[in-house]
Amino acid sequence: MSTPTPAVSVRALTKRFGNATALDRVEFDVPAGSVFGFLGPNGAGKTTLLRILTGLARPTSGTASVFGVDLGERGTEIRRRIGFLPDVPGFYPWMTAAEFVSFAGRLVGVDVATLPGRVEALLDLAGLNGVSTRIGGYSRGMKQRLGVAQALVGAPDLLLLDEPTSALDPIGRREVLEMIASLRGRTTVFFSTHILADVERVCDTVAILDRGRLAAFDTVADLKRRAATERISIVVDGDAAELCERLRSRPWVQAIDRDGATLRIVAADLALACREVPEAVASLRLGLRRFEVDEASLEEVFVRVVGEKGR
Amino acid sequence: MSGFGAFFVKELREIARTWRIWVIPGMMLFFAVTSPIVALLTPTMLASLAGSQPGIEITIPDPTGADAYGQFIKNLSQLVTLALIIAGAGLVSAERSAGTAILVLTKPISRSAFVLAKLLAELLLLLVFAAIATMVCLAVTRLLFPPLAAAPLLGAVAVWLVSAALLVSVMTFCSVAFPSRGAAAGAGLGYLFATLLASIWPPAVRYSFVGLSDGIAKVLGSKPAELGWPLATAAIAAVAITAAAAWVFERQEL
Repeated sequence: MSTPTPAVSVRALTKRFGNATALDRVEFDVPAGSVFGFLGPNGAGKTTLLRILTGLARPTSGTASVFGVDLGERGTEIRRRIGFLPDVPGFYPWMTAAEFVSFAGRLVGVDVATLPGRVEALLDLAGLNGVSTRIGGYSRGMKQRLGVAQALVGAPDLLLLDEPTSALDPIGRREVLEMIASLRGRTTVFFSTHILADVERVCDTVAILDRGRLAAFDTVADLKRRAATERISIVVDGDAAELCERLRSRPWVQAIDRDGATLRIVAADLALACREVPEAVASLRLGLRRFEVDEASLEEVFVRVVGEKGR
Repeated sequence: MSGFGAFFVKELREIARTWRIWVIPGMMLFFAVTSPIVALLTPTMLASLAGSQPGIEITIPDPTGADAYGQFIKNLSQLVTLALIIAGAGLVSAERSAGTAILVLTKPISRSAFVLAKLLAELLLLLVFAAIATMVCLAVTRLLFPPLAAAPLLGAVAVWLVSAALLVSVMTFCSVAFPSRGAAAGAGLGYLFATLLASIWPPAVRYSFVGLSDGIAKVLGSKPAELGWPLATAAIAAVAITAAAAWVFERQEL
């Protein structure tokens, strides 16, 4: 069985500005149909990579392809399948929202019969239907929502979003995230953000870029699992002191401390600990009121990967 | 040329709905109406000026329709040309600095199409309003002066249009090559100065587009003018400069 073509594939991608290296041999594939979160501190190279993917900049070396098409060779053609929202979108201030989305639709080749209905649906999605004022008078949030609408007008196979929720209020942010999640399976969404909660909420796969280098690339669940410290907290009914002493002698216990009926255990082998802790509780005829495996948050993962230097 | 049509239509609508409609077209129509009036009133104004200075006597011939044509062409060649430089300086650089070029160029439109659409929209604007303004100038001249043949004015405006088209292509290139509107306008003024300087060298006047200014004056004065070389070199230069603008823009990072 052949491997499906990734939506985005970058190989040894390097971009230098004079002596500064913005991207340093970055390599990854984004599976088609997935929601991909692109994380990194300011200046990590996220926007540079997005600029290369949209044809606004060229790599110093390495390659970038979208759906198997090399951007250096057939960039204009492949852009028909891409929708893009920059971090600060620039619109023609003399146009209305409907005019701009319609203009964007004609640029990407949406047929004349389909365009009016699609423009109306997208303006509904952006909460801008019926807004007849010119874009010049819009707030940043309105522009951001209009940016999402214009990026979607060509029904793109790949949606590239640079900080799409940064200027939105909580409701607008939730709506955009729901819209992104609803595209899963149909459209590949590649979005860069600083808001880790957004990534945790909607992304399947995550890449963390740090000073131009790919510091991590995995599914959200696996990244969190790998970063977890394999800690267990338990609360028992009865005297936990004897339980504490019994567990201390087990070879997989790296550390254990007790606070009344609560035990905190750092385990070298989490699977073994998950089996033997309840057995020990039962053998001492204690009640188990709480058993919890601590999970690292994406923020912990991010800080650990990037480190304080990168923040 | 993917996306060319949509972008060209957007350019025309932008001209119609922003300040751009008031600058070049507005100036042309203003000069079309006022040039014959100024030509008519100039002798009276000068006589009045001389009358207020004892001992000065100025003899001025009666104004004619040819003076009105001359005034209109002078305004086109000087003031409208300067306006073309200032307006043209922002053709591409303004889109780049406002970020609008990014949203457009991440759609399937080539950068060559982007440049060409801007240039052609500007040329269409120039052509349409030069024609309207010339008709208006002819009509006002006809109202104020005895009948005069229209051919010299039509010919002179046509030659001026060729030099203006070349200037628009130069400004498109400057607007691509320089990141700011000010720098592009400065380069455009440099081009204008260089052509003025070159016009003192007879071979340049005879065999290159530098001779267009001289040709305008001759055509307006119904004198014989050899315009083959100036027109041909202007057309070739305009095409070459436009191609260079597209080539440079294709290689720029945004």
